[in-house]
Amino acid sequence: MNTLVITTVDGIAYGLLLAIAAAGLTVAFGAGGVLNLAHGTFIAAGGYIAAAWTAGTWGSLATAILLATLAGAAGGGVLAAATAGLRGRGHLDQALLTFGIALVGGDVLTAVFGSDVLRPRMPAALEGTVAVAGYRYPVDRLAVLAVAVLVAVVGYVVLHRSRAGRLVRATVDDRAMVAGVGVNPRTVDAAVLVASGALAGLAGALTTPILGVGPGTADTALLLSLIIVVCGGLGSVPGAVAAAIGVGVVQTVGVVTIPALAPYLLITAMAVVLLVRRRPVPGQVT
Amino acid sequence: MRRARLRLRPALAAVTATSLLAAGVACTGGSGDSDRVRIGLLVSLSGIYTSVGEDMQRGFQLYLDTHDGRLGGRKIDLIVADEGDGPATAVPAAQKLLGRDRVVALTGLVGGATVDKVQTLTHERRIPLVGANARPEFAPVAGAPRDLSYTWHTSYNSDEPGIAIAAHIKAEVGGGSVYAIGPDYQGGWDELRGFTDTFTELGGKLANPGGKTVFTPFPTTENFLPYLNKAAETKPAAVYTFYAGGPAVAFVKQYRQSALKDVPLYAAGFLTEGAVLDAQGTAATGIRNVLNYSPTLPHAANQQFVAAWSAAGHPGQPTTFAMASYDAAAVLDRALAAVDGPVTGETLNAAIATVGRIDSPRGDWQFHPSEHRPVQRWYLREVRADGPVLSNVLLQDLTTLPAT
Repeated sequence: MNTLVITTVDGIAYGLLLAIAAAGLTVAFGAGGVLNLAHGTFIAAGGYIAAAWTAGTWGSLATAILLATLAGAAGGGVLAAATAGLRGRGHLDQALLTFGIALVGGDVLTAVFGSDVLRPRMPAALEGTVAVAGYRYPVDRLAVLAVAVLVAVVGYVVLHRSRAGRLVRATVDDRAMVAGVGVNPRTVDAAVLVASGALAGLAGALTTPILGVGPGTADTALLLSLIIVVCGGLGSVPGAVAAAIGVGVVQTVGVVTIPALAPYLLITAMAVVLLVRRRPVPGQVT
Repeated sequence: MRRARLRLRPALAAVTATSLLAAGVACTGGSGDSDRVRIGLLVSLSGIYTSVGEDMQRGFQLYLDTHDGRLGGRKIDLIVADEGDGPATAVPAAQKLLGRDRVVALTGLVGGATVDKVQTLTHERRIPLVGANARPEFAPVAGAPRDLSYTWHTSYNSDEPGIAIAAHIKAEVGGGSVYAIGPDYQGGWDELRGFTDTFTELGGKLANPGGKTVFTPFPTTENFLPYLNKAAETKPAAVYTFYAGGPAVAFVKQYRQSALKDVPLYAAGFLTEGAVLDAQGTAATGIRNVLNYSPTLPHAANQQFVAAWSAAGHPGQPTTFAMASYDAAAVLDRALAAVDGPVTGETLNAAIATVGRIDSPRGDWQFHPSEHRPVQRWYLREVRADGPVLSNVLLQDLTTLPAT
């Protein structure tokens, strides 16, 4: 029983991490109008930077997280500049462009950081385990869980309570009206893409201590993010968070409870969700 | 996305190889090139097992470089191709090496599934396959067992590490039970079956519910904690596992964070072999594992090998992957020396059968006369600090396999 509790906690922590990763993708699509297939590459870049920069001290850890976020934001900026010229030419052209960025970026990352799986060196305090409800749980995962909750809360507040967030949501709903109140919707698009990149970089940095980062990271991250974004309704942030936690729990609780079906569980769950969920989710781009 | 990227790589490799080939032909001026021999090296230069593939390439190249670029007195044109993650990329690359490049021997090959598929190609063309890594249990073709007359390995069978260590673990745990867990693919099944079959034959008890080994989805599993905590509920006296590459790092790190933390971990040596050991760091300390090689073996051949490895500027200590590929070059060296006249697949294959004892960094070994794989010693190793670096330090000899 204890195992189930601790595994569920683990699933939620994992899910929240995925939510940060997927939130960037869904926001970029919903508000920025860009289906970013290079999203996984941004996540991997954040992870590599975190792994390379950390040196076992708190200072280096903080710098690493900041650098990873900035690198992601810069990637988002590049993406915004690159896709600006493709506006109005549909998602296929964008997909091709971002796919190209993903391929080139992936090979650059492998060339720079090598093909081995890297892990950050964490401060000793984060390397141990603590007893939670009489069960051992890694401290680094608890820390990641805390940061993930914090980011989710801040993200929600920014999106729903600040002027910037209102502008983003308004751009999703009615671009002409945003232009009418004197704000260039393209500036909003670009800002959203930068923010989305920053979220990807941050997600990369946060995931690395647990999963490591290697040549397969970009693909796995993109695949999981796409599953989450599609299940949660394209463009919907609350939908993405719910779907991410669902994926996290399926990937942890599900695979140990029904080990025989482990390889198929996630895809089956996705199919069921898509079949059952006929109505669009709030915020979904239709 | 990975697939698409991997498709590009063989294309690039093909272009590179073709230009190399053109250069090679130009050098010999098209005249009788009976003293030049083309050998194909097929290893993973992209994908999950890149570091294994690179190690194998380094091992083979190290032998060439320390032997003046010659094997058996003949100048070698080594043509390298990318195996990728498995047969989907490896088979076209092998077809290119065999067809367009007309190599007289094919070596390398990281994955068991690749070997299984490529073996039929090399056999058809009567080209010796000198595999230097995984050797699967070859599936019968059309109901008939495979003809392995052109198939050689300088490595091991995938089930041998488990067979070699089972008796030792049984002696250590006594009446206690052992939990078995591994990745869900051919290599994982073979490695774990070797252990579980031998261990239960010796009267050992598996802690797994129903005595069934737990297999984790491969390569998608990155979070092993749920599996490990579940395993801890069975209160095993020890755990036996096999992982390699990235999953090996995740497994070892998370093992030390799980409820199994203080339970002794035994493994096929690949869990802590090579680049993964650096990434695992101190979390790997104390893992006891079984392999046919340790860089701390005292043989003279091994000391020379380790010194040459460092002198070449390669990182860390040589691995079993590099060693087996180095030995593949040694086998081809002796075989080519024995070929009188033109080198063809047939003459080379006949010569390989006569190479006899190989003085290898792992200790002397020779080919099993019918199975064409090494009869060799297996060693128990433990991950310990060896000076400033972690190393798989030799503890004791275990056994010689295959038993004759």
